[in-house]
Amino acid sequence: MSGAEEEGWDEGAPERLYVVTGGRSRAGTESVRLDLVTLIVSRDVPQPGMPPEQTALLRMCHYPLSVAEISAYLVLPVSTVAVLLTDLLADGRMEARAPIPAAALPDAELLKAVMHGLQNL
Amino acid sequence: MVRAGSSPGGRQPGSVSLWLIPPAVTALCAVLAVIGVPDGARAPAAWCGAVATLAVGLASAEVVRRGRVIATLRQRHAGQEAALRQRLVEQETETVRLADDLLPAAVERLQRGATVEEVLAAVGYQPGIDPQFRTAHQAVLRSVMEAVRAEEDLRDSAQRAFVNIARRVQAIVHQQGQDLREMEDRHGNTPEVFGDLLHLDHGTALIGRLADSIAVLGGSRPGRQWQQNVPLFNVARGAMSRILDYQRVDLHSVAEVAIVGPAVEPLIHALAELLDNATRYSPPQTRVHLTAVEVQSGVALEIEDAGVGLTEEARRRAERVLAQASAGIDLNDLGETPRLGLAVVGRLSQAHDFQVSLRPSAYGGVRSVLIVPQDLITATPTPGGTVAKGATLPPAKPRKRPAPMPLARQNGSPLSMDASGPVTRGSNGLPQRRRRNSGVAPVPGTAPSPTASVAPPRPPAAAEQVKPGLWLAAFQSGVNGEKPITGATRPHTEEALDRDE
Repeated sequence: MSGAEEEGWDEGAPERLYVVTGGRSRAGTESVRLDLVTLIVSRDVPQPGMPPEQTALLRMCHYPLSVAEISAYLVLPVSTVAVLLTDLLADGRMEARAPIPAAALPDAELLKAVMHGLQNL
Repeated sequence: MVRAGSSPGGRQPGSVSLWLIPPAVTALCAVLAVIGVPDGARAPAAWCGAVATLAVGLASAEVVRRGRVIATLRQRHAGQEAALRQRLVEQETETVRLADDLLPAAVERLQRGATVEEVLAAVGYQPGIDPQFRTAHQAVLRSVMEAVRAEEDLRDSAQRAFVNIARRVQAIVHQQGQDLREMEDRHGNTPEVFGDLLHLDHGTALIGRLADSIAVLGGSRPGRQWQQNVPLFNVARGAMSRILDYQRVDLHSVAEVAIVGPAVEPLIHALAELLDNATRYSPPQTRVHLTAVEVQSGVALEIEDAGVGLTEEARRRAERVLAQASAGIDLNDLGETPRLGLAVVGRLSQAHDFQVSLRPSAYGGVRSVLIVPQDLITATPTPGGTVAKGATLPPAKPRKRPAPMPLARQNGSPLSMDASGPVTRGSNGLPQRRRRNSGVAPVPGTAPSPTASVAPPRPPAAAEQVKPGLWLAAFQSGVNGEKPITGATRPHTEEALDRDE
């Protein structure tokens, strides 16, 4: 099912991406900086009359999803998704949850070492 | 004429008796003379009288004979004159008919594609027309036909050349559009590049529309053909994406129907031309409103602008342009017609039974209404288009990953956090790392309350696939635990799956 849809969007959708975002290519500066891994949760239900992308976002984000995932599911580039999300965030219909700071994560080298260690077991 | 023909016959018996009078009078005079003269001169007088009477009788007979000949001649002449006059009238009628009926009809048939011979064969003549005259007429007709045909051929070839060029441009634009879309996916993560790509994409779409217009004016169909029905919403946005000032167009309520495949491209193009007119002829700060409502006869698409209104005369002229479009416009006018769009809309409307009307708008501008007939409309399961459909809660698994993810790996580090570091390197050992996540997941975090309630829908999706069940379990626990891990994990699991396939 998803395959057909992707083709549908790639091959069959008459609109171009700039129309989806109204010509904006980047999220507004005042908003939260959206990361690929920022988690998005909807705080509202879709209202009638909303553009389908926003409806889709609100619907799919009942469950927290990262920006990257949303982008993949909608088959839309990340920047486009970010612009759409920014609008919804500004309206308070959605909520972004920042990822935990990088410092809290173990060092990459350490992880690698652990991985190799485990592989060698 | 009639009198000339009938009078000689009627007067003839009278004239014969009339001409008996002179010999009779002469004879009478001779008798009187014979009686009156003395006896000695009686015999010569009688001779003279007899000779005179004979002479007069002969003369009278001759006069009668000639009179008859003249009458016959006169009759014949009158008959001839009548016949000639009749012929003249017929020929005159025929010539008038040639000019008034035959020639226009023949030219029209010719323009509809009949050959010269066919047209000539079909021309009917009145019976009794002089063959020579008919041949001459046919010669006139033929030479006119041939001149018209030559002209038509010339125009056809010019149009074909135009269409040909337009088709080539369309092919390039289409290819370019696809490439751009791929690039947009690939560079979706870098807003600077992405913005530029969108800009290019827009420019390309404008070129495409111009090429489509030329193709339509050349008597061909516009560019692409759509196999499947397309929701009206997408059609409307497709039209918006082909105009310069699409940002000024407000797309309001759109009827939840779809347009059947063959009519999609013409409708997009016609709408785009109308929108273009609306945005072009209204002040840049005003908005243009586009709505689509269902009406009895189909779907009415309304485009309302707040620009310079149409005067009644201008409106009538515009509608005339719309109406005349079917007659074909001269490609020579192409550069000079300022409202080229209307001619295109007219053509498309004629071909697909759209009804277009232009009216003054309540905002002072123009309200153009395009009605799509019922038979080009169908129900749609996904009014908002593929996107809305694709987003029915997290889909099972997008089949292929579009470009963003690989890129995320390349230059993801400036954007995302350090977590992407191990992500890049770990790509060779992903399956192991994924399973590990279930161990990492229990790290206490702020478990979002909606998660618990929405989590249940997931397992059914997972159950469909044997393999994903593993990572979905990990995913769930990951979501319950730390978010960044979830974010980073999910895409990779899918990548791994893609590789597994």
